[in-house]
Amino acid sequence: MAIIDLKFDHVSKRYKVRAERDESAASGNPILRKLQSLARRSQDFWALRDVTFEVERSEALGIIGHNGAGKSTILKLLSNITTPTSGEIAINGRLSALIEVGSGFHPELTGRENVYLSGSILGMRRREITEKLDQIVEFAGIKQFIDVPVKRYSSGMYVRLGFSIAAHLDPDVLLLDEVLAVGDAAFQAKCLQRITDLKHGGKTIVFVSHDLGAVERLCDRVLLMQRGEVVASGPAREVIAEYQRLAGSFTASQPPPVQAGINTRRVEIRSVTFRDSLGQDAPAFKTGGPLSVAVEYFAHERVEDAVFEVFFYAGDDELHCQLTTESAERRIDVEPGGGVVEFSCPELGLQPGIYHVDATVVQREPLEGIEWQYHCAMMRVDPGRIVRGNFYMPHEWAIKKEPVAGDAAPEGALGQIVSKI
Amino acid sequence: MPDASRERRVTLIRPPALSLGGVLRDFAKLSHYRDLLYTLSVHRVKVRYKQSVLGVAWAVLQPLSLMLIYTLIFSYIARMPSDGIPYAVFAYSALLPWTYFSTALVNSTNGLVSHADLVTKVYFPREILPVTYVIAALFDFLVASIVFAGLLIYYNVQLTWVALYSFPIILVLTFFATAMSLLFSATQVRFRDIGVAMPLLMQLWMFASPVVYPLSAVPKWLRPFYMLNPMAGIIESFRRVMLQREPPDFTSLGVALILSLVLLAVSYIYFKRVEATIADVI
Repeated sequence: MAIIDLKFDHVSKRYKVRAERDESAASGNPILRKLQSLARRSQDFWALRDVTFEVERSEALGIIGHNGAGKSTILKLLSNITTPTSGEIAINGRLSALIEVGSGFHPELTGRENVYLSGSILGMRRREITEKLDQIVEFAGIKQFIDVPVKRYSSGMYVRLGFSIAAHLDPDVLLLDEVLAVGDAAFQAKCLQRITDLKHGGKTIVFVSHDLGAVERLCDRVLLMQRGEVVASGPAREVIAEYQRLAGSFTASQPPPVQAGINTRRVEIRSVTFRDSLGQDAPAFKTGGPLSVAVEYFAHERVEDAVFEVFFYAGDDELHCQLTTESAERRIDVEPGGGVVEFSCPELGLQPGIYHVDATVVQREPLEGIEWQYHCAMMRVDPGRIVRGNFYMPHEWAIKKEPVAGDAAPEGALGQIVSKI
Repeated sequence: MPDASRERRVTLIRPPALSLGGVLRDFAKLSHYRDLLYTLSVHRVKVRYKQSVLGVAWAVLQPLSLMLIYTLIFSYIARMPSDGIPYAVFAYSALLPWTYFSTALVNSTNGLVSHADLVTKVYFPREILPVTYVIAALFDFLVASIVFAGLLIYYNVQLTWVALYSFPIILVLTFFATAMSLLFSATQVRFRDIGVAMPLLMQLWMFASPVVYPLSAVPKWLRPFYMLNPMAGIIESFRRVMLQREPPDFTSLGVALILSLVLLAVSYIYFKRVEATIADVI
């Protein structure tokens, strides 16, 4: 029977959230108001509900889900930053979290001093740090700067040193957050290699990420979290597909877990739907293929000069592109009632991957945010036109008549170079 | 790592509950992190002086300048009695332990809140943060003691074997400072008022302790209450063994010791209770 390295046994976590202040009932006296707020009953928010799972030795478990689904609460409980409200967690062996790189760095101290400081904060002994110092510095590639205060470091050097310390912790169980998105491409590849090595070295890994591609590459098994509960568990490919099915298009009957920022409710976005060329809901699209995005709204009042926008974020939460109705010539005056804004793209420029989608309504003049559905939908792009680079650029091509070798009057610069050769 | 075959310990994470076993486990954890305690304490001292021109001299300047001011005010202007000891050395002998206590307490009170980014991201026994401020203040105390030695020579004060009592006295003071640091820093997490009230509180506390005046100036009827302030017994005892060649007042020092130990236990348990949810609140 396999050895269990990590076990969540009916774990729940409750946060107390103080209710929003009721303006009308609030007293004018600030001290009285403060006392009232202290006396007010706080509301319970269950970040995790009865979560049970196990991770076997040298297994890599991925945890995916929307923002607010409970992923980071699991990380916080595992790394002992906060305690569960009920249930029990058992960890077999030494656990390290590769969560935040550069934790505990002090700008005035040198790189070397910070390695000792950060290393001890992460639970390493001084002797251990001394043994690994050369490796850490080597891995970060900052050998000549090790005795320079880190405030003089570039942000890249800072992040590399931070990751390097954490990567040399030598734990039995390793927790990974979105750490793979640090440094430049070469360093990222190095990080991924290091983690793969750790995995092959028999480490047990728990990986929490939005980057479904990375989760699928690294993890044997995946948990899907939704509103604090485990809703699916199984082989990475299947659970990720399930997640995409659940979270493809967004419909307001199922409110998004997080509604960040502005929301004046003058205009509500009711749904965001992705369709293919035939106007049918499609689960996935192809690079270079057609895409149309329908944003269904309901306006409670008239909004003059409104702008609808749709944003596409990659797994690392980097904005990749945006669709907008903003234009100099045309303006949209939204009348009360429902409607649909449809964007159509003949050739999709996004590269294969999973994208989180935000939809917003903004009033242009005077500038005011009216509605913002944060990460409300998800779209998968499958390989279509295979191109390298960051995005696919729609293009056509044609062959022009080649200059004939030995021709007396070669045309254009290209022809001249060719003729010299 | 060479000890790849090291034994694995099973860690259990449960809802916070008070138990003797829990306290013992906390101590075991703290012992595992003793290197962090050391590194962070050294770091406190280093960072404090790294970018200042006067460097470590600041550890001396604070009690020294206070001594000069108080000597001017209380000796030349107010003619405060000082048990027949030159006022400058009289005041410094109290400012030395007092500055240790107040530096430790003022800095550690903010210790958890100012490390909020760390506290919400990495686990380590949180009591290390306030305790390192106490250790850094102890370092300052040792540096400032050099000036005290100079003053003793200048005023030709002879030390006798009773001066050795200063070691247990400073130990009691360290217990008390640690207890207060744990209590204040944990409370500051939820009620930031503590940090704001700190300068005023320390001012009041200093005048409630025999720093600028001798204990003999306190009315007899008031003394039983007055001595409930552990700092009163500690400072008075320190002054007696250093300047007056008398053994400490064992009653008041004993009261200070018992109070410190009880407070240390209570505030440690309180601190660990707060620690359990600190990342949710901070």
